[in-house]
Amino acid sequence: MQSTENRHVIALEVEDKPGVLTRISALFSRRGFNVESLTVGHTHQPGVSRFTIVVRAGEAELEQIRKQTQKLVHVLKTYHVLDREVEPDERMKAIMAASNQVQHAVMREMALVKVHYDAQSSRQINHVVEVFSARMLHWSGKDLVLEFSGTEAKIDAVFKELDSVSVLESVRTGKVAMSIEEEKVDL
Amino acid sequence: MASKTKGSPLPMTGAKALVRMMEDRGVEVIFGYPGGANLPIYDELRQSKIQHILTRHEAGAAHMAEGYARVAGSPGVCLATSGPGATNLVTGLADALLDSIPVVAITGQIHRNLIGTDAFQEVDCFNITMPVTKHNELIKHESDLVAAIDGAFYIANSGRKGPVLLDIPVDVQLANYPHDLKAKAILPGYQPTVRGNIGQIKRALRALDRAERPLVLIGGGVEASGAVAELLSLVRKCRLPVVRTLMATGVIGADDELYQGMIGTHGNSLANRLVNQDADVILAIGVKMSNRSIVKPELFAKKAKLIQIDIDPAEIGKNLPADIPIVGDIKETLRDMNRRIEEKPICGREPWILGKHKRSTTMLPKTDAARVMELVFDELSKIDQKLHVTTDVGRHQMWANHHMTNPKHLPLFTSGGLGTMGFGLPAAIGCWFADKETPVVNISGDGSFMMNMQEFLVAVEHKVPLTVIVLNDFRLGMIRELQNLKYGKRHIANDFNRDLDYPLLAQAMGGWGETIVDPKRIGPALKKAIQSRKPNILCFDLELLDQRANLSLKEKAG
Ligand SMILES: Cc1ncc(C[n+]2csc(CCOP(=O)(O)OP(=O)(O)O)c2C)c(N)n1
Repeated sequence: MQSTENRHVIALEVEDKPGVLTRISALFSRRGFNVESLTVGHTHQPGVSRFTIVVRAGEAELEQIRKQTQKLVHVLKTYHVLDREVEPDERMKAIMAASNQVQHAVMREMALVKVHYDAQSSRQINHVVEVFSARMLHWSGKDLVLEFSGTEAKIDAVFKELDSVSVLESVRTGKVAMSIEEEKVDL
Repeated sequence: MASKTKGSPLPMTGAKALVRMMEDRGVEVIFGYPGGANLPIYDELRQSKIQHILTRHEAGAAHMAEGYARVAGSPGVCLATSGPGATNLVTGLADALLDSIPVVAITGQIHRNLIGTDAFQEVDCFNITMPVTKHNELIKHESDLVAAIDGAFYIANSGRKGPVLLDIPVDVQLANYPHDLKAKAILPGYQPTVRGNIGQIKRALRALDRAERPLVLIGGGVEASGAVAELLSLVRKCRLPVVRTLMATGVIGADDELYQGMIGTHGNSLANRLVNQDADVILAIGVKMSNRSIVKPELFAKKAKLIQIDIDPAEIGKNLPADIPIVGDIKETLRDMNRRIEEKPICGREPWILGKHKRSTTMLPKTDAARVMELVFDELSKIDQKLHVTTDVGRHQMWANHHMTNPKHLPLFTSGGLGTMGFGLPAAIGCWFADKETPVVNISGDGSFMMNMQEFLVAVEHKVPLTVIVLNDFRLGMIRELQNLKYGKRHIANDFNRDLDYPLLAQAMGGWGETIVDPKRIGPALKKAIQSRKPNILCFDLELLDQRANLSLKEKAG
């Protein structure tokens, strides 16, 4: 069952019940699943929340993650979602053809960054704001709070570009994902 | 868990709603222990037809509920108070989870206003029991109570069975509320698959038919889904050889020519060879493929196609990849298989292996006490009447599991997943409450017995026809054996250094007992004990019995 570990995104629809976050995180920790990021929020359906969890796992383990989470009474649906920007390999294509539990998805991440804005850093910051279309959320006279959103690769690039300026605080949301049906055809 | 309410019923307390709902679900007996946080439920139980059994420790209550469930086929119920009452249930819940036994546990919780304040006897029962239950709920609103109770009984006894715990704050128990007792749990995320996919079933039958050396491997799931008859019908009709795990002891008789032994660490070398090397198609039924059964996953079924039937989809491919998975209830799936075989018989040739199972092939270390244990089990097997037999955990468990042969005493009830010492005595008592016609026997070691021996008093109080067989080696036999095998015979912490007078103890608790030191007494003592309607403890002194058995062998030889 050994296979190489890759990053995968699991989306869960859950009943919005007290303790559901604990149930999921306890399950991941008990079974030794590796979580890179986890986001959760309400959906348009009352009483239904959605988790997007980025895990590092081999194929068999990924299947276990999905099945074990599906066993939780309050979990409604589990999906393995694939970034549409990543071309699936042959195996993955076969799995996708066989299972409706694997879906293509668009994925986004958001970051908030507080930077010290002064004569020295202004050029680089202005550059980053422009290239990555950041929104300016707050200006204290010294510090600037910026909002970025985009693919994970884009957010990674933002942080790389901000390397040379002094970042005071930062936070990334982790991925959120939404499945897209029709993409299945142009595989 | 939402509920639909029609009209508005008259208000009643949460405690009353709980007791009424349990009555409606046919609960006959509850094993429990009171405390400040569950007294409203007790107050209600006074007026109920449900019998309450006051145990001597909450651990006893949990294991009794397991024993009851096993025999009754419906959930066993246990009840404890908050704090230490709840924590004392934890081992029993974990035991029931690992062996898929339906148990509904009710714990009182402190007043809602006090939750989170480190109040007296407050523990976070919800989070403590989450990983040791199939599902659990803390009831924060009286309006959720009825649906939660309905859901608890349903979830515990459906799909892969297991323990469900409801933690009910004392003020929810007391609150007057118009509970609609007919309201159902709405569980959109819980839909166990019952019928196996027919296409997969056909594929499985085709693979078995084509196999040259087909083998059936059975686990605890067969008994758990009540599918023993269906299993026997399948293997007899198709003449399929069978091996088993510890959890399927006695599902098929040890003398049956189709039976080829047990796999795993404590199994038979033949059975292990069959699964690892010889078979070309293995049909695994209700087996969780744990490390005790599948010692070397890289060897298991290496040359065989693996068909796996399990009600839990997560069991498929968990520890080993399956070639033909079938997700479904074992009883239903085997029925479907049997029906198809009626129409279109398969495996029309003589079995490739028959009657090869021999006692001599067990992988258990043959230590001094072993022969005496065999003598005891041989004599016990001669007692030709129906018995419910439980074991504890240790060497005696492994020997019992190989040497009990009377089909009237089997399947053996043992703690396989968790390996809980102290399980056997309360579990045996629980079995009796579900079937009062049948005497119960607990095969134990001195160490295991002492873990829950206080529950013997419950047997005395309720006149349970219980025989406890203590195979007394004056120590933790299995630990010593491990130290012999793996730690260069460096012994520590296995010797009790102080023996217990078992007959005196039994007498002190209102039963009777005997210490057996003469091999000739083994049979008569067992007969007398099992026929006695009074709880008793038979202490088999393995050292003296071994010496004397040796002596008589020498005398015979000389
Ligand atoms: C609650 C618990 N604690 C510790 C163990 C570890 N353990 C496994 S077997 C064993 C010895 C059992 O001794 P005894 O009941 O006398 O049986 P014997 O092996 O002598 O037949 C121990 C300590 C366990 N299984 N359960």
